[in-house]
Amino acid sequence: MSIEVRNISKRFGNFVALNDVSLDLPSGELTALLGPSGCGKTTLLRIIAGLEQPDSGSVIFNGQDATTSHVRERKVGFVFQHYALFRHMTVFENVAFGLRVRPRKTRPADVEIRRKVHELLELVQLDWLAERYPAQLSGGQRQRIALARALAVEPQVLLLDEPFGALDAKVRKDLRRWLRRLHDELHITSVFVTHDQEEALEVADRVVVLNKGGIEQVGAPDEVYDQPATPFVYQFLGNVNLFHSRVHGGFARIGELELPVDGHEEAQNAPAFAYVRPHDIEISRTPENGTAFAATVSHIHAIGPVVRLELAREDATELVEAELTRERFRELGLHEGEQVFVKPRQLRVFLEQHTP
Amino acid sequence: MSAIVTHHPVAATGKSSRATQEPVWVRWALISIALAWLALFLFVPLAAVFTEALRKGLAVYWASFTDPDALSAIKLTLLAAVIAVPANLVFGIAAAWAIAKFEFRGKQVLLTLIDLPFAVSPVIAGLIYVLVFGAQGWFGSWLSEHEVKVIFAVPGIVLATIFVTFPFVARELIPLMQAQGTEEEEAAVAMGASDWQTLWRVTLPNVKWGLLYGVILCNARAMGEFGAVSVVSGHIRGMTNTLPLHVEILYNEYNFAAAFAAASLLASLALVTLALKSFVEWKTSAEYRASIEEYSNEH
Repeated sequence: MSIEVRNISKRFGNFVALNDVSLDLPSGELTALLGPSGCGKTTLLRIIAGLEQPDSGSVIFNGQDATTSHVRERKVGFVFQHYALFRHMTVFENVAFGLRVRPRKTRPADVEIRRKVHELLELVQLDWLAERYPAQLSGGQRQRIALARALAVEPQVLLLDEPFGALDAKVRKDLRRWLRRLHDELHITSVFVTHDQEEALEVADRVVVLNKGGIEQVGAPDEVYDQPATPFVYQFLGNVNLFHSRVHGGFARIGELELPVDGHEEAQNAPAFAYVRPHDIEISRTPENGTAFAATVSHIHAIGPVVRLELAREDATELVEAELTRERFRELGLHEGEQVFVKPRQLRVFLEQHTP
Repeated sequence: MSAIVTHHPVAATGKSSRATQEPVWVRWALISIALAWLALFLFVPLAAVFTEALRKGLAVYWASFTDPDALSAIKLTLLAAVIAVPANLVFGIAAAWAIAKFEFRGKQVLLTLIDLPFAVSPVIAGLIYVLVFGAQGWFGSWLSEHEVKVIFAVPGIVLATIFVTFPFVARELIPLMQAQGTEEEEAAVAMGASDWQTLWRVTLPNVKWGLLYGVILCNARAMGEFGAVSVVSGHIRGMTNTLPLHVEILYNEYNFAAAFAAASLLASLALVTLALKSFVEWKTSAEYRASIEEYSNEH
């Protein structure tokens, strides 16, 4: 089922949670709502579910306006951040709940309920826990039971609020791959909320980046990562170096350095921010006249597959962060305190008036 | 670490010690004071009630219950409790549900109103009903025209009992429901449950022990209430006398054996209530502990 969100606004007292947000979620896709806390992502998810009413705007399911319909009628599966499993019911009864509360006419027979629940528990690979209580489960198990429970009502939309937020790092990783595989199997239109960019980029088909109640960018994971539309997206998705620069006639000037940039040919000596990702910085031992600036290696952090360098620019007080592969690092044979030359391979420039 | 501990003065007595532990004599002194206090103010009076009640033998003790006035007092006390407890059960659930699960204007006012019976002296509570429903009261003439008797009759006693036991269930449930939040209810509704189904299948089972606890306290107070009931009752023997009022009348007539016999009944009720209360507390914490232990065993 496709979901359209049209001009949704929502305030809580003086706090603007969502400001005129519009969004299309195509059928069968797995979408991530990504943003820092307080950006309105959970509110948007709850409005789509019908757990919250927007102040204005509409939610459209499959071309039909669902704004005024009750959460009961929307046929959404909702997975809560803290799972909200019924603590006084066994795992089996939790999953069976959605079937048991149906009106008598549409309620399946007991045998059918039992079959369906075990089928779902097998789907989440936890059939052996059917008689346990939620308090007896680990976080990851609870999460999967919550998902099985949400799927029991055969929802047309699956909504997940910070599905991996309360889990430790290892379980998180396993579970998000598992969710991705599950989605590939079931193809239910799914939306999940997260503040973890890595999670959003790894799991989702599409990423919606939110900030301060508005949408910054919508796109495929590689799109939002490689071509961030706004400085916010650039900073939020991964580490970044920020340079204060001036743009003049298609060239960005950072200290002594002049680099060509696209799309700013008409700019006349305009103040701008230039962003460079640490892995887009090249280090060499020889100056490459005009395309690199000198810096001193102030710190080397060589743990894991990537070596992180902290570099102090010689023409400014700014620190620059760079990431090298281990091979490159060995090739250069760098030590703390040595002089090197820094060359941004790829940079993205935003004129200052565009930034908040 | 152990070197430091052996230099500690308490360690010299040969016992292991923690930083917060007091010397032995201080501990024993404090425990003795506490026990003496308890004995003097709790155990001795309780024992006195039963010894006084049985002083003239079992026959007299038994006779004081079979006396028609005593029987009627017991019946009236039970009647008041049987009406007041369910009424406050329903009210308590409704109020706690509204306060814990929703945001609305005047919530604080409602909370204060629920606490009012705790703050007001029961005698004043009784007087309020006399002022409103009494012969000279606001509705007095209307009520007597329609031949409804509230004050100095059973309805007045029931009303006064309801008033003083108003907060027990609500006060017990509100913090519990607030702590549990609304996510489980939202989950239930999202899965298609009606409001009624959500209440019966999710909200109430989650607070069942707290609810029982509130009902036990409410019942104890309903049966033991003296002040408010005394004002509205009129002390008509065999008609508007509850058990606590009966005790007072007998005592004032120097009929000590019967007075203490009735008092022993109330005291037994209190003991049963305490036992039930401890059981509920034990049950809740045992359930909690069991779930925590099983959880930690697995990981």
